[in-house]
Amino acid sequence: MQKKPKFYFQIHTSSGVPVYRQVMDQVKTQIALEHLPRGTFLPSVRQMSKDLEINPMTVSKAYSLLEKEGIVEHLRGQGMKIAQGPLPKKHLNVSQENLGPLIREVVTKAKQLSLGAEPLHKLIDEEWEK
Amino acid sequence: MDNLIVAQELNKVYGSKVILDNINLIVPRGSVFGLLGKNGAGKTTLIKAMLGLIQPSSGRIDLLGETPWLFSDRTKERIGYTPQSDQLYSWLTIGQLINYTASFYPKWNSKLVEKLMTEWEVSSQDRVGLLSEGQTQKVAIILALGHEPELLIFDEPVASLDPMARRQFLKTILEIVSDRDCTIFFSSHITPDLERVTDKVAILNKGQINFTGGLDVLKDEIKRLRITSLATLPNDLKIANTLSCEITDHLALITVRGFNDTLVADLKKRWNAEVTVEDLNLEEIFLELNK
Repeated sequence: MQKKPKFYFQIHTSSGVPVYRQVMDQVKTQIALEHLPRGTFLPSVRQMSKDLEINPMTVSKAYSLLEKEGIVEHLRGQGMKIAQGPLPKKHLNVSQENLGPLIREVVTKAKQLSLGAEPLHKLIDEEWEK
Repeated sequence: MDNLIVAQELNKVYGSKVILDNINLIVPRGSVFGLLGKNGAGKTTLIKAMLGLIQPSSGRIDLLGETPWLFSDRTKERIGYTPQSDQLYSWLTIGQLINYTASFYPKWNSKLVEKLMTEWEVSSQDRVGLLSEGQTQKVAIILALGHEPELLIFDEPVASLDPMARRQFLKTILEIVSDRDCTIFFSSHITPDLERVTDKVAILNKGQINFTGGLDVLKDEIKRLRITSLATLPNDLKIANTLSCEITDHLALITVRGFNDTLVADLKKRWNAEVTVEDLNLEEIFLELNK
């Protein structure tokens, strides 16, 4: 049995956002949402690269930039430890911004289909409840 | 030696046709380097020049610190190469072909080869001549990995592979670079594959390199600006380094190279406009650079 990734990361390699930034944003979001409490370790570069099927250099880059920002701390032989308590919720804006283009696409599609705002809200509510 | 491949002002001309036009390229140790270009851009010619299979018309190229057509045997051992379509000995079985290839190398990792054959669903009893194009490509890739070279060069490795085998190939590449000191150079026009595994890319267009460097740098550098202005925008909106531009009255869609935040601030101020910055993926960037 392969070990399942401990944390939830989802990388879209074909998104315009560089992969290292997606990794950074998601670590921050998960700290802000308190999914990654202070003192926990991030998966190793090797593990992360394997789980997400992305270049290990990309993971290293994300980790070292997070270290520079003081968000994680590199402990020799142990890995990357979350150095900060829950981040201010402002870090969530990062992911909200990412939603912008997707929402625009949905709204455009809805308009093309002459779907009103009300039915669209209903569809979103239905999806939300799933 | 930190750079395994260095090309400087490399040219290749056939008659009056320029195939490679002043190529400058550096492939650092440990990178997974993707060469992106449409059909006929010169990818295969560049790879052949790297390996000493053709001589450049002018300029120079160094691979592992040596000039390719003067490679020593020791250097050849350190390279693994899979051409776009390989002519393998059709009368042999895969098992025989592997043993034959292994006999040329002082070290050969049979364990790795067996593991790959299982993962890639290649059977040693099958006769090489009866394999499909995709199966042949898999065998050719496995043969290039057996002697654990420091530098792997693949010309369109995934072109004839099905999606499952392509994913398997990418996984294998990532395993190799995480496990040992290895540099990988491969050409492709399948952008999602390059995006997944490469850290550096070069974009080749009509024999010229349009961009070479980090994939992240490329994505940070090229952006599409959506400008919505209260004023009517002129048809010739002058912005430096514009790659493409569509303007209709109050709305402009402009793709720029060398993006920065000052540019956005300037546009906002100058045109009393709302500016949104859109990220582009590698395929979109590739299309913009080829316009």
